[in-house]
Amino acid sequence: MLLAPHVREEVLGDLQERYVQRVQSQGVSKARRRYWLETLAYMRPAFIKRQKNKYSSTGRQSAGRKSAGRHSAGRQTAEPSALYYCHNMILNYLKIALRNLKRQKVSTSINVIGLAIGLATCILIMLYVQDELSYDRYNEKADRIFRVAQKVRLNGDDVGGPTLGQSAATDLKQQVPEVLKATRFRGQGGEFVSYGTSSFKEDNLLVADSSFFDVFSIPFLKGNPKRALTEPNTVVITDETARKYFGNDDPIGKVLSFGREKIPYRITGVVSNVPASSHFRFDMLASFAADEEEHAGWIYRMNYYTYVLLPEHHDFKKVEAKIARLAEKQIGGELQQWLKLTPEQFRAKGDDFGILLQPLTGIHLYSAFGTAELSPGGTIMYVYVLSAIAAFMLLIACVNFMNLSTATAVRRSREVGVRKVLGSVKGQLRQQFLIESLLLAIVALLVGLLIVAVALPFFNQLTSKALTMNLLTNSSVVAGLIAGTVLVGLLAGSYPAFYLASFKPVLVLKGGFSAGRGNFNLRSGLVVFQFFVTISMIIATVTADRQLRYMQSQKVGFDREQVLVIQNTDMLRNNEAVFRDQIIQSPQVITSSISGQVPVGNSIMDKTTVMSKENPDQGVMSRFYFVDPEYIPTLAISMTQGRNFSKSFPTDSSAVILNETAIRALGWQQDPIGRELIGHTDDNGVKTYYRVIGVVKDFHFESLKQKIEPLVMFLGRNSGNILVKTRTDQIPTFLASLKQQWESFSPTAPFSYSFLDDRFEHVYASEQKIEQVLVLFSSLTIFIACLGLFGLATYTAEQRTKEIGVRKVLGASVGSVVALLCNDFIKLILIALVLASPIAWWGMNQWLNEFAYKVTIDWWIFGVAGLLAVGIALLTVSFQSIKAAMMNPVKSLRSE
Amino acid sequence: MRRSDLGEFEEVVLLAVAALSPNAYTVAIAEELERETGNIVTSGAVHAAMQRLEQKHYLKSVWGEATAERGGRRKRLYAVTGLGGRVLEESRAVRNRLWDRILPAIRLEWN
Repeated sequence: MLLAPHVREEVLGDLQERYVQRVQSQGVSKARRRYWLETLAYMRPAFIKRQKNKYSSTGRQSAGRKSAGRHSAGRQTAEPSALYYCHNMILNYLKIALRNLKRQKVSTSINVIGLAIGLATCILIMLYVQDELSYDRYNEKADRIFRVAQKVRLNGDDVGGPTLGQSAATDLKQQVPEVLKATRFRGQGGEFVSYGTSSFKEDNLLVADSSFFDVFSIPFLKGNPKRALTEPNTVVITDETARKYFGNDDPIGKVLSFGREKIPYRITGVVSNVPASSHFRFDMLASFAADEEEHAGWIYRMNYYTYVLLPEHHDFKKVEAKIARLAEKQIGGELQQWLKLTPEQFRAKGDDFGILLQPLTGIHLYSAFGTAELSPGGTIMYVYVLSAIAAFMLLIACVNFMNLSTATAVRRSREVGVRKVLGSVKGQLRQQFLIESLLLAIVALLVGLLIVAVALPFFNQLTSKALTMNLLTNSSVVAGLIAGTVLVGLLAGSYPAFYLASFKPVLVLKGGFSAGRGNFNLRSGLVVFQFFVTISMIIATVTADRQLRYMQSQKVGFDREQVLVIQNTDMLRNNEAVFRDQIIQSPQVITSSISGQVPVGNSIMDKTTVMSKENPDQGVMSRFYFVDPEYIPTLAISMTQGRNFSKSFPTDSSAVILNETAIRALGWQQDPIGRELIGHTDDNGVKTYYRVIGVVKDFHFESLKQKIEPLVMFLGRNSGNILVKTRTDQIPTFLASLKQQWESFSPTAPFSYSFLDDRFEHVYASEQKIEQVLVLFSSLTIFIACLGLFGLATYTAEQRTKEIGVRKVLGASVGSVVALLCNDFIKLILIALVLASPIAWWGMNQWLNEFAYKVTIDWWIFGVAGLLAVGIALLTVSFQSIKAAMMNPVKSLRSE
Repeated sequence: MRRSDLGEFEEVVLLAVAALSPNAYTVAIAEELERETGNIVTSGAVHAAMQRLEQKHYLKSVWGEATAERGGRRKRLYAVTGLGGRVLEESRAVRNRLWDRILPAIRLEWN
């Protein structure tokens, strides 16, 4: 109702009276129409504008109304709310609020900065979480698309994956009526693609069905989505790729040549770039080759990511059951064919197989297939943890706010007393304090947004995402943000509001009021909570840092210094060895080895079973390395027994070198040299035996997250990389000469290289990121907690000015007074430490469980965290305490 | 002497209040004016005018009693103040003097 309260009764009465009259004279409909017209006539400033100064003695309206109100006290028709929501009073509150905030600059800035940082963190994390949750939602049919993945259990390990065999998609489409569309694609490693003279390595190359675009919504810029991938040797490229190869020319119909064999692929379409929030990414999407269909089966050549599109509003669990039955039949048949085992026999050993449907929108956060995915997935855990951190930060900021406002309350208790004596009721006082905290919250929001704008580039670097503030221009987000801020303001202001409003005016005005010990309990609870969070963060940061240092300093079992890895040397084809031999001639090179396997990084290697000759039934899952004789010297892996491969022993082609773990797994602790193992069994059951000639010390071939597994090294040709052990300190010139030699072979691939120690660092990039995030957040929480503590210390010192004065007069030293003031806080922090330790210990234990090789969480970490917290707290508190203790007691006692 | 700041509609309303006293309230005046002028007069227009008049201290008001046809709401009864009365008188005097100065011949031309 727009009408001003003081005219409301009169106007409504008028309207109704005329309406009733007209109903009698002109009929209902006409009367109703006139009623609305008349109502519209009230839409003018005179009625909408609220009455000025309701307490002025010259206000005839209110005077008249008051006297009339007395007569009709029995039926209160005037709205009681008119009493509270008078805009004059609100203006007064705002004025008082601004004056107060100005007078208490320190506590105001602490409040605003604390809340702003809390809000900024919240917004940043919200942006991140929003981005994580929005994965794959760009698809128009996102909620109807499911990926068919398989779950397999072998020897007690879950070895399922997101891929199926070639014919799964076709079978699903034909035999399950609910499957409207089925499509599949597979990754195709890195491929060198050239057009004319320009050649690039394309890492994001997928090979897909023509139905790909029926399922996924990736818009075409050029070409026809229906026909784009129907023929073999056609390719669809993204806009960015098109620009890379052709600039502004029209790429349609142009032919790219793929790989060493220069297979021609014709471009049939250009699509817009795949959104960053997609669980797969491609720069090129090629059609399946004509011979693709030869390898039929569900578990034979499981390279295909298979997706199905279901009808709208369909329970996918039912379809999953149907598909599971189909899979049982198909996979069961294949097991019979390949392993000569019926599904029952297969399961009898504790193994299992089956399929599951993964909702498209859940793949990024929930899928647990790790490296088998096309792009590294997120973890729902991190989303939860980050949201929790955001909530904590905000909570701490709110707690500070409440703490400080309550603490400063006593300074304002006189104001409250006077207001009460002059007739304010509780509601009005509450309103006043809520308005103050709202004001602060809104200022904090503005400051927070500023911080977000400044911090976003760094945050993006940290999370390697491309978040923008664009999301914040969305009207519903803006509304949410404002509503959130208002809520925070109200929540943060509610305690002081209710607390202050309940002051007894007589007590306050007599001056006998002081914040009693009882109030201290709540505030100390809040301090304990803050330091609980802070100490937990410190413990987490220290532990993560130790783990990271541990992993980096851990002996990996090979020498990673001065080792250069030249990549893609297989593109030299027969010249690979020639190139290597050329390199070795250089005086700067010690040794050089050609190898497909470089110990660091995710070398996706299958595990294969080997058996000892004596005990052929007991297989040991191990990794195979095919190496040349230079491999072990180049990496300086130490041999514990036996000898390395050598060209002077022709029999070495059937020799193997094992690592110590493999020796243990095979049970050959005594004298392994000369024993034989079964490395390979062909289809006819003919076994190939390999003789052990040496044992190497265990070395870490991946990151320290994985346990060292049994390793079998064969002598064999295995191209891909050339490892070069150098002794030079003139790396740039050396690299330049290498590049020159490389190009003399005119390969299709450009010269690319890396250093082994850099690759090693790179493996731990995600852990480093976690540490950075932890350091960032723990310093933020420490900062906020200190702000809160500082405010509280100011307050305590002020409260006890007189006490300190009396103590000093009676002979207390400065030191003892400072100790007195700090004592309270130290106690609180110790309580927080006791509470935080077990929880932090539990949390970090969970995190460390990801690593096969890890540090232990020692008790001294808790000590350090506690000392750190106490130290920081003392620094914060002592400034105020010392100031209070140094004060001349005459000053504080004189004013009595 | 105070400048007489009385609009035409305001003057009519003021007169109507005087005429209907002691039962002058918004609806009664609006009805009266509708009857007298034959035009539609909304109560809002009347109310606004009366508020202005009250601000100029030409009108005073007290709460009246509530009636059933107003849904139990009270009405506000208006009365002309002494100042208002004097302003009305004065304005009437001005008009009368002017009327008196119109030559009879000219008035005849109008008819």
